[in-house]
Amino acid sequence: MSREEQFARQLCRVLDRGTVELDHGITERLRAARERALQHQHVTLVSPAIVGAGGTALMGSDDDRHPLRTGLAILALLLGVSLSYYWNGFSQASENEAIDSALLADDLPPNAYLDKGFQAWLEKDSPAGQ
Amino acid sequence: MASRAELSRFLADVERRAFKQAVFAVRDDDAALDIVQDSMMRLAEKYGDKPNEELPMLFQRILQNAIRDYYRRSRTRMEHFTSLSALEGDGEDPADPLETLELDDEINPFATPHTALLQAETLNLVEEALQNLPPRQREAFLLRYWEGLDIAETAAAMGCTEGSVKTHCSRATHTLAAALESKGIRP
Repeated sequence: MSREEQFARQLCRVLDRGTVELDHGITERLRAARERALQHQHVTLVSPAIVGAGGTALMGSDDDRHPLRTGLAILALLLGVSLSYYWNGFSQASENEAIDSALLADDLPPNAYLDKGFQAWLEKDSPAGQ
Repeated sequence: MASRAELSRFLADVERRAFKQAVFAVRDDDAALDIVQDSMMRLAEKYGDKPNEELPMLFQRILQNAIRDYYRRSRTRMEHFTSLSALEGDGEDPADPLETLELDDEINPFATPHTALLQAETLNLVEEALQNLPPRQREAFLLRYWEGLDIAETAAAMGCTEGSVKTHCSRATHTLAAALESKGIRP
């Protein structure tokens, strides 16, 4: 630490004493001012529903907005939508596969379901049809 | 983002020094309280969601702007500047007090037992010397050494270059040393 800085620090220690000895009226007004200020604290609100899709960047305050962050959030959102679409298609294919397997493995040939006579015979002989 | 508790702690820590800074600048307790109150409110409203570590620089920038605004509104400002312009000097003072001052703890008034009266007198003389500094020198000195901002933060708070901060701080320190030495105070 230079001599100049050392001297400055000494003066600041003297100045610190002055802050301790402030009048009660002044410290009370400072406390009241602080509490008023805290009541007006600006807080950034974030919607929890879209946090997972990068919503934090999208919903930030004006000062927080950044093209890169916004771009990343949109990219994450699109990726989520794509994955969801792919997953739904995959589930549908699995269900169709199960139905096909059941039809093919049955003793009744699949063409029987296309025979109108067979449909009529089923309706005639089934308990509901009687 | 600073929580309410963090902002409260920050303001509680800085409010007294902020008040004294404003008093040194405007020499009026009520005006200084108004300046500090406005600065606190502005910090909370505009920057209440900023990270805790950014608060000191932001608050000081707001405070210094508020003090400068007060100057602009006050017509006594010009008188203040002209009466103190002689203290600025041109950096060629042949009798640099810091070259001859001894800074050992033994001669530090607060390192050895002194009476409360002597301490109060010392405080008054230091505060008076600070009040008599040119505004930009005082601002740089207080931000850099009392508030503990680094040179870059001080420059950002003052809206000037880092080189200007160093110059202001150096001149302020030498002027204070000379003023105090003339009053019989040896740091």
